[in-house]
Amino acid sequence: MKDANSWNGKDIRDMFAAGSNWMEKSVADINAINVFPVPDGDTGTNMLLTLRSVIEEADRASDTNAGAMTKAMSHGALLGARGNSGVILSQIFRGLARGFDGKSTFNGADWAQAFTQASKTAYEGLSNPVEGTILTVIREAATKAQKVAEKNPDDLIGIIQAAVDEARESVGRTPTLLAALMEAGVVDAGGQGLYILLDGALRFLKGELDDLQYRKPQMVSANITATKTFDMVSSEEEEAYGYCTNFLMEGQNLDPEKIRRKLDGKGQSLVVAGDETAVRVHIHTYDPGGILAYATTLGTLHQIQIQNMDDQHVGFKEMQRQKVLPPEIAVVAVAFGDGMIKVYESLGAVIVKGGQTMNPSVKEILAAVEAVDSQKVILLPNNKNIILTATQIKELTSKEIDVVPTRTLPQGITALLTFNFENSIQENLQAMSEAIKSVKSVEITTAARSTQISGIKIKQGQAIGIIDDSELVAAGDDVNQVLMESLAKAGAESVELITLYYGNNTKQEQADAVAAKIKKDFPDKQIELVNGGQPHYFYIVSLE
Amino acid sequence: MVKVVCDSTADVPEDLTKKYDISVVPLNVIFGTETYRDVTDITPDQFYKRLVESKVHPTTSAQSPGYFSELFNKLAKETDEILVITISSKLSATYESAMQAKALVGDICKIEVLDSMQTIGGLGLLVIKAAEAAYGGAKLAQIMDMLNSLLPRSHAYMVFDTLEYLRKGGRIGRAQALLGGLLKVTPVLTLRDGVVTPVQRTRSRVQAIDTLVNLVKSARNIESLIIQHATTPDDLEILAGRLADIYPKEKTYRHTVSPVIGVHVGPHVLAVCFIEGE
Repeated sequence: MKDANSWNGKDIRDMFAAGSNWMEKSVADINAINVFPVPDGDTGTNMLLTLRSVIEEADRASDTNAGAMTKAMSHGALLGARGNSGVILSQIFRGLARGFDGKSTFNGADWAQAFTQASKTAYEGLSNPVEGTILTVIREAATKAQKVAEKNPDDLIGIIQAAVDEARESVGRTPTLLAALMEAGVVDAGGQGLYILLDGALRFLKGELDDLQYRKPQMVSANITATKTFDMVSSEEEEAYGYCTNFLMEGQNLDPEKIRRKLDGKGQSLVVAGDETAVRVHIHTYDPGGILAYATTLGTLHQIQIQNMDDQHVGFKEMQRQKVLPPEIAVVAVAFGDGMIKVYESLGAVIVKGGQTMNPSVKEILAAVEAVDSQKVILLPNNKNIILTATQIKELTSKEIDVVPTRTLPQGITALLTFNFENSIQENLQAMSEAIKSVKSVEITTAARSTQISGIKIKQGQAIGIIDDSELVAAGDDVNQVLMESLAKAGAESVELITLYYGNNTKQEQADAVAAKIKKDFPDKQIELVNGGQPHYFYIVSLE
Repeated sequence: MVKVVCDSTADVPEDLTKKYDISVVPLNVIFGTETYRDVTDITPDQFYKRLVESKVHPTTSAQSPGYFSELFNKLAKETDEILVITISSKLSATYESAMQAKALVGDICKIEVLDSMQTIGGLGLLVIKAAEAAYGGAKLAQIMDMLNSLLPRSHAYMVFDTLEYLRKGGRIGRAQALLGGLLKVTPVLTLRDGVVTPVQRTRSRVQAIDTLVNLVKSARNIESLIIQHATTPDDLEILAGRLADIYPKEKTYRHTVSPVIGVHVGPHVLAVCFIEGE
């Protein structure tokens, strides 16, 4: 056993070297939970690179007295600091150096005092210290270390053990202190990194060298459910989320603490709560079957819910699509066709289903207007027969309603895209009304009866081409030919972008072939093919 | 003379950094665990080639306080006033790093660190104005006054081909709202309060360039202007031509977008930045 007062700089160097190797194993995990202050997924990398520079300087130091060693390490941190977490880490090492200044050897109490100094220096270093981060973790761990040191000043390992335990708890609490973490359902990445660093140092001091070599650090997970999933970090590293597993156990003599210990490590975000007769379990796991099998040995299971979190993730993305425009102004659009509706929703519009053959009622549009949070609503009727209906809404609600008189679905999309996030509603209305003049719409549908319009003979059931919902320009038995003829008449030659929405009566291969043909006939145009899924219309084309 | 320090994201043309003796502190570009100092260790040409080819998506990081403090100590031997202008503190820890270095070096000389709330040319034009003033003999306090009046009038507008790079790098800010669209759009973004903010969605690069031109047109009495690109010199030429009758072509600065910013904007970024008159 080492003499309690004989710890020196070499020990500090070795424990942090072990700690940084320990942390290296978790770099990817730490990166993955990095959401604050900037969710750029590099906290782990930055801390590691900073630590490497610390260890390099430590290795170079010739003097093994504690003061000189921590001074060299502090210098290394300063030179190697990367990113926000690295900069804070460098402050921590600076504080350690201050704490050990003039000391050749040290005991537990000296360490606690230096660690407290490190915490103080970390705070001093920031113009705007934020709680719920690495700062909170080091402060709480240092306070705990001080307390233990007062009782057992010579027990270095006991003191660091207390600091590590407190750091782990503190990391778990970070989401309750910082909204960004709570929203994403994660703990603070920098705090997590610090905890793992200290944990590695402690394991080294305790002589757990096999663990350090062969095991991986345990990440502290947030004991909360995410209100907002986040996706970031390079997609090639994206892992599956597994299954969110939730159930209630009923039985006798249940021991929640024992169940928690048993399930610990079987997944993430474990929550076990209850009493002797009923225990609720929540865990994110890749193996819900194993968890349930274990639980059935203890009691009966109820309210079993297992959800694939990858699906939840997709659901979240879907939800995100609808939050495009700033909340003070909402856009309500009349549209039809599954794909077309998705396009509108992806651009932030709220949809009232309807169109040519099924005009929505005033009541339906009014209901949509009342349902949105915004007080200002822009209406896109997207059909000449609906413009009047839309105008009537103004009289029926206390909200501020404006109608951009769009006559076709392409006009509506152009109007939506013109929306400028920085401008007022008046400026936007003007820009949108102006923009819809610059788009030509071509619709290819089926003639409802035989007739003659503008000198063109049409037989019932033939394909017909209509420009801007008003001018019939082509008819024939071959849909593609009618399309090409209509495009030519609509002036496709002089536009820049041709967007082709194909209907539910058109197969994708047909649409692909048509798009290729258009590309060939108009080689310098940008062509975009979108599954509009609309009934009745083979194609709706936007020329702009 | 006041010594002016900026970071590498300011994209100040090299002839000007030489002429005014501006110290440029490189941020870092990191591929995996390989670190490159922005522009110094990796040229924009090398970088953008690697950005497209590399399987590992690069990350970026601020320069260390140690780098800044060494620079301050060096500059303090030549001057008694140092001015540091940094990239928006909402995008990078560079500002914090410089502030710590300032605290670290103590009273060696007067040091001011300014958070520009901008980056690329929006920051660069401020740096050039400050360096010109310093060169003309202005004192630090005067330059700070001038910069504080210029800050709200400095604008950066960028055209993106894709928001994927911004998303991956975690700097998407308010442009988050533009993600998930089903149509191909070419967004025009700006920095507002130091955060990436959407201006408009356009349907093509031509429309996007129109939007940039209109933004410049609607500005008042432009004092200085820079246009920037990464890998599309032809588009830069087109933009230059369109802007020629709004602002004199010979006074327009041109530069590439530095690798550190390139990590977050991708190889097809096109930008115009300017300072409006009062």
